[in-house]
Amino acid sequence: MPNWDGAASSLASGLLLGGMLALTALGLSIALGVMRLVNLAHGELLVGGAYVGYFLLQKGGIDPILGLPLVALVVAGLALPFQRVLIAPLAGKGMEAPMITMFGVSVILQNLYLLAFSADTRAIDTPYAAHPVTLGPITVPEIYLIGFAVSVLLVVLVHLLISRTAFGRELRASSYDADAAAAMGVDVRRVHALTFALGAACAAMGGVLLGTAFSFTPGSGGTYLLISFAVVVLGGIGNIFGTLVAGIALGLLQSLGAVVFGDGYRDLVGLVLFLLALALRPQGMSASGAR
Amino acid sequence: MSAILKKPVMNTHRPARAPFNLFLLALPLAFVALAALAPALSDYALEIGFRILLLVTLAEAWNLLAGYGGLVSLGTASFFGIGAYVLTGLMNKAGAPLAVALPLAGMGSALLALLVSRAVFRLRGLYFTVGTLALAEATRLFMINYNGFGGATGLFLAQDPPGLRAMYLIALGLLAFTTIVMTAATRSRFSILLRAVRDDEDAAAQIGVRPFRIKLVVFVLASFLMGVAGALQGLKLGAIEPYGMFGIQWTVNVLSIVIIGGQGLRAGPVVGAIFVVALGELLADYPAVHLAITGVILIVVIRFAPQGLVGLASRLVAQRRRAQA
Repeated sequence: MPNWDGAASSLASGLLLGGMLALTALGLSIALGVMRLVNLAHGELLVGGAYVGYFLLQKGGIDPILGLPLVALVVAGLALPFQRVLIAPLAGKGMEAPMITMFGVSVILQNLYLLAFSADTRAIDTPYAAHPVTLGPITVPEIYLIGFAVSVLLVVLVHLLISRTAFGRELRASSYDADAAAAMGVDVRRVHALTFALGAACAAMGGVLLGTAFSFTPGSGGTYLLISFAVVVLGGIGNIFGTLVAGIALGLLQSLGAVVFGDGYRDLVGLVLFLLALALRPQGMSASGAR
Repeated sequence: MSAILKKPVMNTHRPARAPFNLFLLALPLAFVALAALAPALSDYALEIGFRILLLVTLAEAWNLLAGYGGLVSLGTASFFGIGAYVLTGLMNKAGAPLAVALPLAGMGSALLALLVSRAVFRLRGLYFTVGTLALAEATRLFMINYNGFGGATGLFLAQDPPGLRAMYLIALGLLAFTTIVMTAATRSRFSILLRAVRDDEDAAAQIGVRPFRIKLVVFVLASFLMGVAGALQGLKLGAIEPYGMFGIQWTVNVLSIVIIGGQGLRAGPVVGAIFVVALGELLADYPAVHLAITGVILIVVIRFAPQGLVGLASRLVAQRRRAQA
């Protein structure tokens, strides 16, 4: 007799985790859509956010959820000069040079984390991290619910930022046709810098939520990068609500995989789904197939 | 979108006839000299020599993909690892002799490339890169979690591995084979088709080149070479486990070697491999510092010497010649 309650709880957890994945994937999607930047250091930005959240709690006693805006500002502030120095000079040299540069950044950050914080597995320890919430047959840790709610809220906020503000208009124009936008007076360089910072902030906030719900190590970034990519491809590049739906779907399917094959296969299921998605439907699930 | 992988001016096209003959003459001599050197080398020199030969082979294969084909792969580790596992499986379970197991190990990796080609070639450029990265992570996770091939602890090779000197000579033989493949691939009609696809896939398709087929040939060929290289590494160690054989450091090293040496340039992998191995020896006690510094060098080279050390050197030589003239 299989444990149906356990399975139902796992699936619910997966769904909630998916919301958090959507937030991190959104950061990747924005950079890819607007700057055509394949940010291979996205996972390390995420882990960096988790470390910032960890030390804010440990040294400053700041609650990680309440501290999210602070983490976003810190990481975005670090990302801005970064983009100026490393990415902006490579504009117009194709996609490969920035991509490999970000790969270099990923390798550097990973090893800096290792040197500075050791290989220890850490988790942001809050009272609600393990506190269970029960609804009928389903039991999930409270942090999953909080993480999901915060992630969806942030995704909606980013959507509003892009669709309703002057900056959002410039961002969309730069994404659609950078040359035309520049000709119409949009400071594309500035838009790209802010876009990179926004993407980094999304990654860092996702990192705090994931670092509270799970544990992390200096090497955790790689898997999150790939899972985020899977979400971006499934949801369609630059499609914010597609990303949200794809994140939730992927979280659900990963949990299903973990229930069926065992917990070690959770990430493997995500990666195989990604490769299948690339083979069968590279334009995403929602699909007008624009780009 | 077609301009994505367009490179700055590349001097891979050599219309002159004279250097061609010189090249063909000098290369076999170099291999004979390296083989003749083997009995005189110390164990340390053989160890370093083996590592350089293996990395040059991997870098040649990667250079074929990225430098000549425009296919920037981050999946080196998966093809490398599969080769090692196929070799160990064949020698342990079927008692296959080395001469049979080595090429079959390469074919195992080539088969993997064939299987995933549909997925990784579907969209252009960047999807190949991310797709191969996902593939590498997926094979690594599979090998760690699945118990059929030794799981996380790995497998022992039932036979004793050949001695260090023999390994050095086998690696030299593999590099000789790789060099022949590279010479054929970069100096034939095929190389022109390959460059056409790299520089503008749509235009190439317009004039009757089949991009998918060209890319597939290169991908399968490079994967074969990476598989044999992985098999050699597994053979030398006598024991394989997924963390080491499928480790990201193989991917990082090979990519760094080609970028630092010079993408799409014949001498690039050799110069890059010597540089990276020397750096590795200098920082052997500090692996994290080593990787971080490699990352920094990678970024600096991409920014200031997109054609690597070889490209930089030939530019400086050309400048000096012009100054003298």
